[in-house]
Amino acid sequence: MKKWYSRATILAIVTLLGMSGIALGQPTVIKVGLPTVLSGPAAPWGQIGMDPYLAWIELFNKEGFKVGGKTYNFKLVTVDDKNTPEGGAAAAKQLIFGDGCKFLAGHWSWNFPAVAAVSNQAKVIFLTRTGNEAVPGGVYDPKKQPYTVFANPSHDQFISDLFALVEAFPNYKKIGILDCTIGKGIGWDYVEAELKKAGVRYHMEWFPFGTQDFTPYITRFKEAGSDIVYVAGWVGESMMFAKQRWAMGYKEMRVGHSGPFVDVNMYNAVCGLDAAQGFIGQYWANWDFNKTKVNPKYIAMCQEVMKIVSQKHGKPFAYSGWIGWGPSHLLILAQAMEKAGTVDDPEVIMKAIRGGTFDTTTGKWTMSGAKTYGSPVVFGTPSALSMIKGDKEVYLSEHPMKPLP
Amino acid sequence: MMPFLDYKNVVPKTVIGLLVALIVILPVFTTNVITLSIFISSGIWAIAAMGFTLVLRTGQFSLGQGAFMALGGYTSAILTVKLGMPFWPSFFLAGIVSGIVALLVGSVVLRVGGTYFSIITLALAEVVRIIAQQWEPVTRGTRGLITSPPDPIVLGGLEINFATSTVPYFYFTVCLVAITALIFWQIGESRLGRSFAGIALNPVLAEHQGMHLMRYRVIAFTVAGVFTGFAGCLYAHFLTVITPYMLGLWQSIQIMIMSIVGGISSLAGGPIIGAILLYTFGIYLSRLEIYGIQQLLFGAAVVLVLLFLPKGTGLVDLWERFWRKVVWREEEYEPDTPDD
Amino acid sequence: MPPVGIWIDGLIQSCIYMTMAFGMVLVFSILGILNWTHGQFYMLGAFVVYYAVTAAGIPFPISILISAVVIGGLGILVEKFIIERVSVPSAQGALYVTVATIALIFFFEGTASMLFGMQDKGLAMVLPGVLNLGSFSVSYQKIAVVIFTLVIMITMYIVLNHTKVGLAIRAAAQEPVAASLYGVSVERLSLIVMGIGCALAAMAGSIMAPLYVVNPFIGGIPMIMSLLAIVIGGLGSLTGAIVGGIILGFLNSVVAYHLSYFSEVVLFLLVIIILLVRPQGLFGASLK
Repeated sequence: MKKWYSRATILAIVTLLGMSGIALGQPTVIKVGLPTVLSGPAAPWGQIGMDPYLAWIELFNKEGFKVGGKTYNFKLVTVDDKNTPEGGAAAAKQLIFGDGCKFLAGHWSWNFPAVAAVSNQAKVIFLTRTGNEAVPGGVYDPKKQPYTVFANPSHDQFISDLFALVEAFPNYKKIGILDCTIGKGIGWDYVEAELKKAGVRYHMEWFPFGTQDFTPYITRFKEAGSDIVYVAGWVGESMMFAKQRWAMGYKEMRVGHSGPFVDVNMYNAVCGLDAAQGFIGQYWANWDFNKTKVNPKYIAMCQEVMKIVSQKHGKPFAYSGWIGWGPSHLLILAQAMEKAGTVDDPEVIMKAIRGGTFDTTTGKWTMSGAKTYGSPVVFGTPSALSMIKGDKEVYLSEHPMKPLP
Repeated sequence: MMPFLDYKNVVPKTVIGLLVALIVILPVFTTNVITLSIFISSGIWAIAAMGFTLVLRTGQFSLGQGAFMALGGYTSAILTVKLGMPFWPSFFLAGIVSGIVALLVGSVVLRVGGTYFSIITLALAEVVRIIAQQWEPVTRGTRGLITSPPDPIVLGGLEINFATSTVPYFYFTVCLVAITALIFWQIGESRLGRSFAGIALNPVLAEHQGMHLMRYRVIAFTVAGVFTGFAGCLYAHFLTVITPYMLGLWQSIQIMIMSIVGGISSLAGGPIIGAILLYTFGIYLSRLEIYGIQQLLFGAAVVLVLLFLPKGTGLVDLWERFWRKVVWREEEYEPDTPDD
Repeated sequence: MPPVGIWIDGLIQSCIYMTMAFGMVLVFSILGILNWTHGQFYMLGAFVVYYAVTAAGIPFPISILISAVVIGGLGILVEKFIIERVSVPSAQGALYVTVATIALIFFFEGTASMLFGMQDKGLAMVLPGVLNLGSFSVSYQKIAVVIFTLVIMITMYIVLNHTKVGLAIRAAAQEPVAASLYGVSVERLSLIVMGIGCALAAMAGSIMAPLYVVNPFIGGIPMIMSLLAIVIGGLGSLTGAIVGGIILGFLNSVVAYHLSYFSEVVLFLLVIIILLVRPQGLFGASLK
């Protein structure tokens, strides 16, 4: 008799636990790796995104996303990739083989080929950006890299930025474009072709890596008649440019860079308050977009994150660049998995990504680029610009990217 | 009769032999990509560090070994990517091209020697980088070249596929390191090698004794160039990418640090130890999350090692001291050191 | 003919390279080593000035002096506790010192990154304003750089030629053995010279801080430029350092104006030609 009782009790307890387990519905965690720049000169731009990313993922995980009746959550694992090919390969290996990530997302560093080599060999889906090596005619080959997704069309965004610039200042004389010799390559041929097609007046200059003194280049731009100079990234260098052009007396020359403002106070401190006014940068605050409609749910989430991080830091947090990267990539991944009906099969998920339409923190875009890049895995972008006014950045203009052929 | 066994000589060597054997059969225990990658990269840098030590034996201090890695890597990349050559001929040509450049540069520059030689090799590293960056049609500039793994080798029924597994790279590296170590050790032990030491210590005396300074310096520099070129080629095909900034000034400095911290008294053991320890240390450091601490600890570690090792020795010399003082408990006999 | 702005820019660059190269040659003449950490002292000097001005509100010129003293002291500590301990009295002694000073580059960069953060900082508020001179303008900061460099160079001239310490330095640089026979303590002199050399680097970093940005990585380029200036001017020559600095400074600006990014290539070609044709530089002692 006693034996029967104890067996029944055990059976009952186990059944109850099992049922409560199902009822509680603990979401399964999917690990997503982020190889990003956390050391060296570019580190502040990797570091500043960490807090908002984690806050956003926490908010996202409250609801999670459902595939096949099960709820899933994301967990972000970050490894420093040092912005070098060796570092990128090592970071990717650590994330994939050490931490067991089946997806890499949010990547914006330069070491695309090295990371893509590792991720594609391991059949790990890799969401990154176009630019540098990943440009039409560049090293991206959809046949060799079937698991690469360009969730940020940075390269084509640069072109759209210039259109947005022209729209903001229709009476411009000539746009000066400045890039470091490190970025030289056929990508620029593509940019120049598009600019010529659209009839934009421009003048290109290059500076060697490590330049701090831009006086010769400022003079060259002035002599070429450029009244707006847009620098391809390179925050420190563009601040130097802005400061030195002001010191040379060229106060009407506008300066900008293709990147979000980490901290407006830094620009004011480094360039000088007057030299920094009117500095142009990329804008990702989706609550201010005019031409791109963003899902109000995501707008609310982003604003909530800004509040959370401001509280955590004890001072207002104004950096909005993170909105266009990590969260957007993760939303693409989640929606692709929902569409594909699986979280394990990279082939099926990639099939859902190619040519698919996704609704993220930067708006609703359809993957394009079948002809330009060889496969429709390039997302879109609002291409919004902002300007420094006082100690804040304010919306300047917007030129939503058209789908690529 | 029982042959006399010089156990003090044999036992340490047996231990080393066991360690080497363990490393060689490592893939049996683990095929973890990360562990194997660490050994592969360390091995590549060890070969370059051995080259540096060889040149140092002739009294010259080359800050440009990274240039030869770049030359080897780019040669092989250009041959395989642009000209469609298969991997193995490209590999040998990489070493040969690198060696020829070393020969040409060395013949001109080793005449001067000393600090000027060091500065010129430093400039060489930058020049190679600038050429790789500017010679767009051939090297694709800053974007670099994307290489492929070597083609699969079929031996009987066994297929060695580089594209699907890291293990073939591991064995390739082990073989290359072993061959380089053997050749360099042989050079060191030979009459040629002993002449190197002579011209390093006192060039004037050596010249008066009839040793042709330039010949020995150039030979050492060229041999180092060839093997460093091989290392560069392997590096380019392991990472499957080569860019101008990957193998330049800072990598040359890294090679130098590995060689000296490892110990310059040994042509093979020193650089290998230095490369493995420093590289692995660097990998573990990169896992630290506190920003800036990686560089701080790396710099501090190297300085501390230099401070606490007896003057003029490296880590490899610790091995000998360990056996003498800890295991055999020998008395320390300090011969009179001659005044300088 | 490049516009006036380019020539002024060349002048500013020359001032910096001159000061850095001078410090480096001073150290090389007495200690016989190239101090690879020289660039890091430039960076640390800039940080000291930054914090002195922004956090402590000390006026800029005094901050520069404070920076010189602090970093000079740091240099003396490095020399005493690291360089001397590591140096081996043989032909290859320089090797270990080189590795140690290069390792210190990483150490200082890492320490600065941890202590001060990696984000760019600026001293744009020091001496703001621009002087309009008709067709071109010069910022007051640039004028300050030239004035400070002149003051530093004149001071060095006076110290080297009209003080006992200066006499000792010049003697030890030319003939160390004979100098010690006359009672010059070469060890103590090494410390003093190291202090002066590092102070010079710190001052270079300080006076440039308002013009450029302050972050832990600004030491690399001045180090390499300083090395190139010495190569052009001659390894052991103080005059060479000044002339080399001037040539390098103007070359950079003028060539960059005409040829934009090719200036990098031109620069290295020049250095290689000098090393092959006349390795001792313009003013260096001729090799046997």
